[in-house]
Amino acid sequence: MSSISLRARHVSKSFTSGPIHNTVLHDLTLDIRAGELTLISGPSGCGKSTLLAILSGLQRPDSGQVTALEQDLGELNLHALERFRLLHTGFVFQGFNLFPALNALEQVELPLSYLGLAPGEARRRAVASLEEVGLGPRMGLRPSELSGGEKQRVAIARALAKEPGLLFADEPTSALDAANGQIIIDILHRIARTHGTTVLCVSHDPRLVGHADRVLAMEDGRILSDRVPSPASTPTSGLEEPSA
Amino acid sequence: MVALARKTLVYEWRRFLPAILAVGFAGLLQLLQAALVLGIFGSASVYITGSSADLWAGYPGTQSVNLGRSIDSGVEMRLRMDPAVSAVEPFHWVDADWRGPSDTGGVSVFVSGINARPDGLLFAHALSPALRARLNEPDAVIVDRADLDSLGVGIGDTAVINGHRVRVVGVSNGLRALGGVNVVASLATAAELDTDPSNANRMTYFVAKLRDPSDADDVAARLRGNRAFGPYDVWTAESFARRSQMYWMFDTGAGAGVLFLAGVVFLVGAVITSQTLVAAVIGSVREYATLNALGVGVGALRKVVMEQAFWVGAIGLLGSTVLGGLALALARSRSVPVALSLWTTLACLGLCMGLAIVSGLAAMRSLRRADPATLLR
Repeated sequence: MSSISLRARHVSKSFTSGPIHNTVLHDLTLDIRAGELTLISGPSGCGKSTLLAILSGLQRPDSGQVTALEQDLGELNLHALERFRLLHTGFVFQGFNLFPALNALEQVELPLSYLGLAPGEARRRAVASLEEVGLGPRMGLRPSELSGGEKQRVAIARALAKEPGLLFADEPTSALDAANGQIIIDILHRIARTHGTTVLCVSHDPRLVGHADRVLAMEDGRILSDRVPSPASTPTSGLEEPSA
Repeated sequence: MVALARKTLVYEWRRFLPAILAVGFAGLLQLLQAALVLGIFGSASVYITGSSADLWAGYPGTQSVNLGRSIDSGVEMRLRMDPAVSAVEPFHWVDADWRGPSDTGGVSVFVSGINARPDGLLFAHALSPALRARLNEPDAVIVDRADLDSLGVGIGDTAVINGHRVRVVGVSNGLRALGGVNVVASLATAAELDTDPSNANRMTYFVAKLRDPSDADDVAARLRGNRAFGPYDVWTAESFARRSQMYWMFDTGAGAGVLFLAGVVFLVGAVITSQTLVAAVIGSVREYATLNALGVGVGALRKVVMEQAFWVGAIGLLGSTVLGGLALALARSRSVPVALSLWTTLACLGLCMGLAIVSGLAAMRSLRRADPATLLR
C-alpha cells in the first residue's frame, strides 16, 4: 500500500451568514494516499468543495489539523502557503480558467516561469506535459480554438507541468460530455499511477465512480462511506480522442 | 517568462481601447493647453524675449512690461556709467488709439518706440535689419501680420494713431500682443504719438546690453536702489520676462483656470482608465485566481496589472505625442501662438503616465476578488 500524503485530523468548518450558522464540515478525519485517484462524491452542498479547499490549503479550517506532504499547513502564513502551493500542488477546476490571449503552450509555461525555472527547462516541461495529455499537435492554439475537453486537458497540463506531489480537481468533468469526461478522468488516473501523485478529485458525477481507486461518499459534512470500487468497472483504455 | 500583460493587451485590445484613448486624449489636452497658455502668455513678454538686452530699467514695482510708467531720462546716464554695460537704449511705450482706413472702430494699440538702427537691442530677434531700417522714414510703423485684419490695413496704407497720421511700412511675424495690438515705430515717431505732456524728458524703459551677460544678476543689483534720478528699478531680462508672464497667467485668473482644467482632465481620464482596467481585471479574475491557486503570489499578479497600466499609458502617450505634434504644427502654420518646452512636454506626459499608474493601482484593488477558494463550488 502506498504512503499517506494528505492527512486531516478533526477538521471542522462552519460559515456564518447573518444569524444563520451553518456547519459545513463536522470533525472530519481522513487519510489520502499517494499514487491513487481518490474521489470524493456527494450531492451539492455536502461540503466536498470546502473539504478540498481546506486539504489544498486554499482555506483554513476552524479547528483541526491538515498535514500535506509532512507539512502542517496550519503553521504556514499566507506567503508560505502560496510558496507551498507553487512547489507542491496542482489544481484543475470546473471552469477551465485559461487566459484567452495565450496559446496552450504559454498557458502551461506561465506558472512554470514563477517557479524560477530556466526558460528552456520551462518550455521542455510544458511541451512534455501537453504531450502527456495528448495535445502535442495543438499546443499552438488559443482557448477559443480548442474544444471544451481540450481546454480541460490544457488545464490539467498546466497543473501537471509543475510536477506537483498533490493534484486537486474540482468537478473536472461536469462541463464536459461523456466522452470528454472519460478522457479527463483517465488522464487524472494515469497521472496518479505513473507519477505517484496524490490525485484528489471532487465530483457529484456518478460516471466517475468506476474510475477511481477509492471513493469517499460525503453528505452533510460527514463521510458516510469509504470504499474501493469493483475492478470490473475500472476502464482499461488509455487516452483516446472522441470522434465528435 | 510568458508576457501575460502584453499578450492580453494585444489580444483583447478592444477591452483596453477606452483606457488607451482616455490616456491619449488626456495627454493631448494637457499638451495643447500647456502649449496655448505658454504661447499666449509668452507673448506678454515678447518685448523682452524678442530683444537682445540683458537688463531692463523701469518704474519700481512694474508687474508686467505693458504696465510701465515713465522714469527719468537721467537713468540712461546712470546705466552708461557702469563699466559692465556696453550699450543702452531707450524703449518708449505709448498706449494709443488706432483708427484705420476701413471701418474697424477704435482699436487699442501699444506703440513700441525703438532704436531703428541695425544694431538696436529692442526686437533684435523679432525684426530683420531691413525691416528696422524702414522705420527711419517719418511716421512709419510696423504691425504684425496676424493683426492686419483687426487693424483694417495693408502694407502702404495710412492710419491715424492718437490723431497723428502714420503709414504701415512693413509687417512682422510673432509680435502679437495680449489685450491689444502691437505697433512698432522709431523713437522719434513714438515721441510724436505720445500725447501725455508729463512724459516729456521721461522714458518708459532703458534697456542695457552687458559685456558679459552672465553678470546680469550682479550688475542689476548694483544699479538698482540709486535714488539720484528719481524712482527706478533694474531687472534682468529673464526675471522681467517671467514676471510679465506670471502676471498675465495668475492676475488674470487664466493660470487658475488652466490648473483647474488640468485637474478635471486628470480626474476624468483617471476615472475612465481605472474603470477600464478594473473591468479588464474582473474579466480575468478567475484566471488570476487559478494562478494564485497554483501558487503564483498576489504580488506577481499585481505586477501584471501594473504592467498593463504602464503599457496603456505608454501607448496612449505615444498617440498624444503624435497628435499633439500635428496639432502644434497646424497651429504654427495658422499663426496661433503656441510654445512648448521640453520640460513642459515631459511634465504633461508624466502627468498622464501618473494617471495610468494611479488607475493601475485602483485596478489592483480588484485583484482581491481573485480568491482561489471562490473557484471551488
